[in-house]
Amino acid sequence: MKLEMKNIRKSFGEKQVLQGISLTAESGKALGLLGRNGAGKTTSIRILMDVFPADSGEVLFDGKRVSNGTVQFGYLPEERGLYPKKKIFDQLIYFAELKGMSHKHAAAAIDHWLDRLGMMEYRNKRLDTLSKGNQQKIQLITALAHDPQVVILDEPFSGLDPVNAKLLKDVVKEEIAKGKIVLFSSHQMSYIEEFCDSIAILNKGEIVLSGDLNTIKRNYPRNRLVVQSQQQREIKAAFGTACTQWENGSLMITLKSPEEKQAVMKRLTEQFDIDELKVFEPSLNDIFVEYAGAQN
Amino acid sequence: MKQFGKILKFESKNYFTNKVFVGVTLFLVLAIAVVMFFPRFSKASQTEEPDTPEALPTMLIVSDTQEHAQALEASFAAAFPSYHVVLAESGVEEVKEKITSGEVECAFVIESLTSYTYYVNNLSMYDSNTLTADTLMQKLYQVNAMMGSGMTAQEAETAISIQIENKTENLGKNQIQNFFYTYVMIFALYMVILLYGQMVATNVATEKSSRAMELLITSAKPVSMMFGKVIASCIAGLIQLVAIFGTALVCFNLNKEYWAGNPIVASIFDMPVDLFLYMLVFFILGFFIYAFMYGAIGSTASKLEDINTGVMPITLLFVAAFLIVMFSMSAGEVDTLVMKICSFIPFTSPMAMFTRLAMSTVPAYEVILSIVILIGSAVGIGILAAKIYRVGVLLYGTSPKISSILKALKKA
Repeated sequence: MKLEMKNIRKSFGEKQVLQGISLTAESGKALGLLGRNGAGKTTSIRILMDVFPADSGEVLFDGKRVSNGTVQFGYLPEERGLYPKKKIFDQLIYFAELKGMSHKHAAAAIDHWLDRLGMMEYRNKRLDTLSKGNQQKIQLITALAHDPQVVILDEPFSGLDPVNAKLLKDVVKEEIAKGKIVLFSSHQMSYIEEFCDSIAILNKGEIVLSGDLNTIKRNYPRNRLVVQSQQQREIKAAFGTACTQWENGSLMITLKSPEEKQAVMKRLTEQFDIDELKVFEPSLNDIFVEYAGAQN
Repeated sequence: MKQFGKILKFESKNYFTNKVFVGVTLFLVLAIAVVMFFPRFSKASQTEEPDTPEALPTMLIVSDTQEHAQALEASFAAAFPSYHVVLAESGVEEVKEKITSGEVECAFVIESLTSYTYYVNNLSMYDSNTLTADTLMQKLYQVNAMMGSGMTAQEAETAISIQIENKTENLGKNQIQNFFYTYVMIFALYMVILLYGQMVATNVATEKSSRAMELLITSAKPVSMMFGKVIASCIAGLIQLVAIFGTALVCFNLNKEYWAGNPIVASIFDMPVDLFLYMLVFFILGFFIYAFMYGAIGSTASKLEDINTGVMPITLLFVAAFLIVMFSMSAGEVDTLVMKICSFIPFTSPMAMFTRLAMSTVPAYEVILSIVILIGSAVGIGILAAKIYRVGVLLYGTSPKISSILKALKKA
């Protein structure tokens, strides 16, 4: 399965929100959709789910246009909320039925998920009696119970304690393993790095960077070395201004060109007592700040 | 369609499991039952205390001319059955004292057959004793005069109290008879649309403010959502009305004999079947039009507090329609130009056309035209409301301006 957005444009009034978005998500992989607040992530997601049409461009699923319920989406919106005064089981059934499930199938699926997320004891309770994190787990069921082909999770980890976050991680990994297309939007970069094979960074309605996360990282110029050593003073003296203090008490040595890498590494290990030495690869956080923050 | 069914079921269930809704309905049913049984109870309690002359207030008659005293007393006693009429020998001053002390309620001091003075302590707003006395004394005077010109007392009496036979053949509608049930039905329509319209608006705005909308809008089509909500509230409203009026009808039939003396109440329950069907049609279509508008407004409100100001124009429009119809009804002129125009405008026609149907004779083509316009408008407004809903529910923050909604609608 393959989900594609091709050259999507959308404006609200005078404001151009999306200016030609194109991205591709494949089954069995997670795509991380990144961007600062107001970059156009939610609008893209809504167009993907046909909440409103794009001004131009198309959304394709396996090469065919997505229209009226041909593709099943599961959506965990960033703005969470269900019916606070209703029984949990009743409203979960309602949402599953709206997605086209029969009552019987819906009930079975919901019981499965309540059990999987450890929420069985709240089955017949009202939603507003639950804590925020537990309400979020209930909301997650509305996104997954109808076994959708595409799962869209917007900030799924916000407000979860580490134990619940672990549970959710496992669930997301299972969904990816089942061969679903998973779209993941978060500001917590560590989660994106953990799940997503590829990313797309949105800035002001445009995709400023997209592709396989590892390739993106490897494509960064490999001209910086991170050194962990007890002989910091000596190393600094030897390399002069090329050597700067880096995170966690390590040093960074910037080379004149990537070709010098082998020679400098050899020199370091021969002349100094080195604990750790590696070529610097930017974290997703670094990449995000560089691209999403660049034009502001 | 399947989705619509699910929404309808869910929304209807919301009403019937709502404790307030069930409680209010039960209370109204009970209240109407008590009202309908009231004459039976009051009659049962009345028979226990027989009317004794002592229990009635006293009315004194003071006559200056002795010759008519007996005749006056008899006539007054017959004309004022709710008074204990006593012929007094005393003078005017004494009578006044008796009245101010409360011993006597009122007194007629009769100077001649053509003049009298009425004494009463507090003159009530509804005191018509002088009117009765006027008629009575006119009659006495006339009889006297006729007797003076040679007639016997009996001949004079017959001549004066001759009864005219009259019959009314009604070829169209009887406004007097139809007035009350038309009034009741228009009022019911008014109440239900205002109450349930507000409920639809609140319902939509609650879903929006609780953010359940984020999920709903990606799960269901706005048209299904809008029609599901509005039809569910219409069903709830109708069931409530059926419960109340059904109870009233059953209780009325159980107590029919006790209501026999009350033509107004009897006429309300004497509604022809065809009119009842018309009422259903206009009721449902009118309900739809307003509920759709209320729903659309609800979707543009970000906070529940914003609803009240948002729905004001619709409420005003509806109240204006109600007042036009009510004034025309009270004036007894339901076929005025205003009413004719109003019976084709979808916002007013449910009430205006129904009133004309009930209280006048309307050509068939006008009725059909009015219903066709109403159906077309209901569907049109429904679809438009669904579009506003789709745009409105995703707009948070300050309530959007009408112009920005219209702009968004063009694109949607």
